[in-house]
Amino acid sequence: MPWQTVIDVITYALFAASGFFFLAGSVGLVRFPDVYTRLHALTKSDNLGLGLASTGLALQSGSWIVAAKLLLIWMIVIVAGATACYLVANSARNSGIEPWTGGDR
Amino acid sequence: MSETPTTITPRERLRRLPGRAVGMLLVWFVVTEADIPSLVIGVPIALAAATLSVALQPRSLSGVYLPGAIRFARFFAVNSVLGGIDVAFRALGPRMRLAPAIVHYPLRISGSFPRVFFANTISMLPGTLSSRLTDDTVEVHVLDCTRPVIEDLAKVEERVADLFGAQLSPHEGGGVL
Amino acid sequence: MTLALEILATVIMLTVALGIYRIERGPTGTDRMLSAMLFGTSGVALTLVLGELTGLHGLRDMALVFALLGALTAVAFVKRAWGADD
Repeated sequence: MPWQTVIDVITYALFAASGFFFLAGSVGLVRFPDVYTRLHALTKSDNLGLGLASTGLALQSGSWIVAAKLLLIWMIVIVAGATACYLVANSARNSGIEPWTGGDR
Repeated sequence: MSETPTTITPRERLRRLPGRAVGMLLVWFVVTEADIPSLVIGVPIALAAATLSVALQPRSLSGVYLPGAIRFARFFAVNSVLGGIDVAFRALGPRMRLAPAIVHYPLRISGSFPRVFFANTISMLPGTLSSRLTDDTVEVHVLDCTRPVIEDLAKVEERVADLFGAQLSPHEGGGVL
Repeated sequence: MTLALEILATVIMLTVALGIYRIERGPTGTDRMLSAMLFGTSGVALTLVLGELTGLHGLRDMALVFALLGALTAVAFVKRAWGADD
């Protein structure tokens, strides 16, 4: 198998996984019962989706410097996402939004 | 070992400048995608940014211990993927398996930066999300309280301590609220 | 590869649509903020995918700016939320 084909197949797999995690994150945002559980879906799934898409794009670019730039963008999103996640969860706690603990939906 | 000094001497600030400048220059190089002519602007800006960053730093940051950093990166990569998979299947499953709870975890790690770093790391790992950080505990929202959350958090804390080259005292335990 | 990129872009747009549903439903301002956070991440991914699709590599810089702004939106929201409560 030629090298480019191998790269392409890996990229397709990464893109498919990326789409899956983006969708799962949003489905969680819609289905989960409260702010905190929705925040779980958002921070974890979407960052993984972005990471997988970036890895695929980095493979397609075939350039180390572009790969490094995509990694930098992803790291910024992770750090910003984790901080935003804490700030939002903390402000929800401070404004007295009680976590859902089961029962009716 | 990892006690964070509250003040930082001018000499120490100066000592940090070269490393910081190299780091800033590297970021410029990556952001401009290795555009050599742009270095005419990039070198002065990287120097200015490094100077500003060193001058404004309120106190000494805990140093990073390289072998620990590599172990942490591997641990974080594997577990953030597991975190994504875990929450994705909970969201997509026909019956969402959720048993959320708030857990209080007594902190062993010292220093303000390592603590914030620990709290942020928690949010990226499977089923945990930090929601409040106080002087001695971190409050964590967990998706599934049937899992051994305290043990998991203790493992994460050890990894973070390793990243900063610190040792942790044995744990006395925490509790589900 | 073009088709794969187009499909991925469409899927990401779909997640944005689901986010709009959450904005509509709320119920709290914090829930709506979650959608804004989703748009931040999706926006970065979409910009990168479209950049590859169109060959406009300058869009990578735009994604970088989106990533940086993502941090600020949460800070702005929290500051405003506290200000309203106090």
